[in-house]
Amino acid sequence: MKRVIILGQANVGKTLFTLNFADYLGAKTINLSFQDSQRGSYTRTISVKDAVDLLVSDKPHHTRCLQSAVLQIPWGKGVKHFEIMDSAGLIDGIHENEPIRRAMAQTLATVRQAEMILHIFDCNRIAKQDILHGVAEVDYQVAQFGQLRAGYGVLANKFDLPQAKEGFDKLCQEFPGHCIMPISALYKQGFREVRDFVKRQL
Amino acid sequence: MAKDLNAFRNERILTLVEQGEITICEAFIMMRKSSSPTTKGDVEISREERIAQIQRELSLLIGLKSVKQLIQEIQAFVEIQQRRISVKLNSEPVVLHMIFKGNPGTGKTTVARIIGKLFREMGVLSKGHIIEVERADLVAEYIGQTAQRTREQLRKAYGGILFIDEAYSLARGGEKDFGKESIDTMVKAMEDQRSDLIIILAGYSKPMEDFLQTNPGLNSRFPIAIDFPDYSAFELFKIAEGMLKQRDYQLNKAARRKLFRIIEDMKKKDQSNFGNAREIRNLIEKSIRKQAVRLVKKQQSSRTDLMEISNEDIGEVLEV
Repeated sequence: MKRVIILGQANVGKTLFTLNFADYLGAKTINLSFQDSQRGSYTRTISVKDAVDLLVSDKPHHTRCLQSAVLQIPWGKGVKHFEIMDSAGLIDGIHENEPIRRAMAQTLATVRQAEMILHIFDCNRIAKQDILHGVAEVDYQVAQFGQLRAGYGVLANKFDLPQAKEGFDKLCQEFPGHCIMPISALYKQGFREVRDFVKRQL
Repeated sequence: MAKDLNAFRNERILTLVEQGEITICEAFIMMRKSSSPTTKGDVEISREERIAQIQRELSLLIGLKSVKQLIQEIQAFVEIQQRRISVKLNSEPVVLHMIFKGNPGTGKTTVARIIGKLFREMGVLSKGHIIEVERADLVAEYIGQTAQRTREQLRKAYGGILFIDEAYSLARGGEKDFGKESIDTMVKAMEDQRSDLIIILAGYSKPMEDFLQTNPGLNSRFPIAIDFPDYSAFELFKIAEGMLKQRDYQLNKAARRKLFRIIEDMKKKDQSNFGNAREIRNLIEKSIRKQAVRLVKKQQSSRTDLMEISNEDIGEVLEV
């Protein structure tokens, strides 16, 4: 089974995208795998609807554990399965908080195993804050790392917001030659393109 | 065995991240190095791939939008002429002598080098090397020697590009100057050796205009004129970042802001003779030295310290 990992800076909408995309493809449940210093690693399974309430927040670094779900895409007369994995937000520099650092290390470990990378940006933030801050150094590194993989797609999230178009154009300038898809994770816009993109790589 | 070693290395990267020893960026760089596919060895790379590689090199240059577009046009034109010849259609003779106009440090030489490589791969030039000359290499002291000297440089350049920097100086000395003799020799060679030599005249915009106006024959013999616009402040900033990256340094956030502000100020202050990319290199090299002075006082410095340029390291280039 191929694995898709969702990467991006903190608070660009990785978790909401993962959950809504899972919902869009008809998944009912989602697995949460925690890594705890006391209890080691353990997993829980909850429904997608509960997960949205539990996991999505507008504060950065809310996601500390690895969330994954097995999804299916119609393929000919049958279906193909793949695993989608949400990850902790990446930052430039070193975070002072140890659990967050651990979450990032866990993310990196998963990146290595994943066959596909979906890299999420916040269009609105790019438009508002100038490209220097909307796109961090870590994003360039992810993009370069992604080129080693066959499946590397860029998702321009929050496209429903008024300034997003501007940010999207800047993003296109900044990452020429990549497949950039505008989406809105909140309103489930543009998911068909993402699905087709994933389907091509399966 | 190699696999084990790789796994071990990756494990180590993760521990370092967890302990806060390295940033995510560094982790990605390390991971990229360890997981990059082994070198292809001596597998022959096809011509198309080599051309694509040169195009990538060109597209990696920052800014220069109009230049890139023009080169694409030239490339397409040459390609189509070659295809037309192969099906025995009438084809235009390909004259590719060029004029590069632009302020110092706007990438004229860099682009000329890339063009040389590109044309060799496309089969326009047999060697694709570039001979850079200036007035002193072409013009001699005594009567009759100039033609010889010029011819010698031309002979060296056959099969490639003769890049004449500050070409307007050839016409500076007035009627009796030997520069004219040099131009005449060159024009003759251009007519004779049409196919396997490209001459590029380069220089600052204003004197080049005057130069071309005083020598009406030149304009028609150099059908391609490329203007190199000055870089914008943001482009210069990107160039600075690229230079730092090449040297294994990186800016922290405050330093980025300060550098950008300084570049903007520099650009505002003197519009006319701002040294563009070369000025930026001086700025960067200065900040690297300042960082060294700052670090040498400290007893210990981590890997990140050695890489990081902070805002106090960045200062304006001193006026001479």
